[in-house]
Amino acid sequence: MSGKIADILISSFTKILLPGIRVTIPLTILAFILATVIALALALVQVAKVPVLSQIARIYIWIFRGTPLLVQLFIIFFGLPSLGVRLEAFPAAVIAFGMNLGAYNAETIRAAILGVPEGQFEAAALVGLTWWQTMIRVVLPQAFTIAFPPLFSSLIGLVKDTSLASAITVIELFTTAQQIAARTYQPFALYCEAGVIYLLFCTVLTWLQSWLEKKLVRRSPEND
Amino acid sequence: MIRVKNLHKSFGSNEVLKGIDFEVDNGEVIAVLGSSGSGKTTMLRCMSFLEKADQGEITFDEFHHDMVTISRRDIHKMRMHMGFVFQSFNLFANQTALENVTTGLTVARKIPKPQAQETAHEMLKKVGMEDRALYYPAQLSGGQQQRVAIARAIAANPRVVFFDEPTSALDPELTGEVLDVMKKLADEGTTMVIVTHEMQFARDVADKVVFMDGGSIIEQNGAKEFFESPQQERTLQFLRRSSKDYNYYI
Ligand SMILES: Nc1ncnc2c1ncn2[C@@H]1O[C@H](COP(=O)(O)OP(=O)(O)OP(=O)(O)O)[C@@H](O)[C@H]1O
Ligand SMILES: [Mg+2]
Repeated sequence: MSGKIADILISSFTKILLPGIRVTIPLTILAFILATVIALALALVQVAKVPVLSQIARIYIWIFRGTPLLVQLFIIFFGLPSLGVRLEAFPAAVIAFGMNLGAYNAETIRAAILGVPEGQFEAAALVGLTWWQTMIRVVLPQAFTIAFPPLFSSLIGLVKDTSLASAITVIELFTTAQQIAARTYQPFALYCEAGVIYLLFCTVLTWLQSWLEKKLVRRSPEND
Repeated sequence: MIRVKNLHKSFGSNEVLKGIDFEVDNGEVIAVLGSSGSGKTTMLRCMSFLEKADQGEITFDEFHHDMVTISRRDIHKMRMHMGFVFQSFNLFANQTALENVTTGLTVARKIPKPQAQETAHEMLKKVGMEDRALYYPAQLSGGQQQRVAIARAIAANPRVVFFDEPTSALDPELTGEVLDVMKKLADEGTTMVIVTHEMQFARDVADKVVFMDGGSIIEQNGAKEFFESPQQERTLQFLRRSSKDYNYYI
């Protein structure tokens, strides 16, 4: 019996890992890029206090943080077609995850920008920089250092959240594990295996994070 | 060169500047003295538009503006000719000493990078920081940071440089190196407005002293006359309190 489970686990490992690499990882990366673009835009219009746009940003964040991710996924994939917008499962998942995480990361980025001391803004204005130049040359690079750890945590969270995409027919890591579990009647073993593969991905990301954080630490002239 | 007329500023119900008239001539070094809370910082901040005045007019060479209705654009134009040195340095934390000096030149003034770097090295040399050009602010002492901040403030050859207590955040043994740099700038004819508590420095370097009390300028005079024969009782009290060896009275 246990030998049989071992065989199933071994033969299913690459079967689960492959969609993990081909689907889960690209889904995570694309959604995270979209989330970052949305988050930056939402944070900047608020910091700049752009009328109307900053209110829209608040409402966006309110809605996307206040409703379940699964509901958002379903609205985009199953709901939009009735309005004539038909999306493939994969792009629908990218959009849902990206828009959802964008709302959370907007708050992270906004807090990081507000965490840059006022004196940096003032000094930049007095050397003659415009608002945009101040953001790009002075504020965002410093905000990035502050926001990096929480943003990276959100990336790790996203890897696991992508398993929800199975609910809208995306054939990713978890969906594959589900299918094999149903066929072999070994749900315990298969779902544990899926968990281990997610753990593997997240462990690699955690290593990557500490490596990047070391690189991010302000360079000193000695090691330039 | 700069003339500010009838400058008013309140924070809520706290009237901090009560109609200031202030003038700086080309090449002049003005020391602004006054006890804590008298409005010195607020005056400098209004003149550089970090704080919006409630009332007042400013004339700065060819520029003439109402300080309340002035547009962002006009503020930007005037700032291109001003330098500002903060009490807390405020060097850009993500930039090296050299980049701190070049940013205002390359980004704000579109000066080509090689030329900006040449200027920046020259400025860092002037403040004795050329060997720290590639250090980040966090790797520099307070006195060194303030000298870089001075290099940044003078790099674009501004017509006037404002200093807000440039040595107050420094350990006593580090103030000398910053004051020496400022003295050098004064000797070169830089127009400077210096808020300071360094009485000896004000006496040695300033051409003129402006004394503020409770949001007004209550006395101004040539530096020598100011210290030797203060006209107001408040001034005399202030001078006695600020320098134990003050002995010009009676
Ligand atoms: N942003 C602000 N909001 C509210 N009140 C302020 C603000 N900035 C300054 N004040 C008040 O204005 C008054 C004058 O402050 P200011 O900083 O100009 O004094 P100062 O002469 O520079 O004093 P110091 O020698 O301590 O630096 C003080 O009563 C201070 O509390
Ligand atoms: Mg002050």
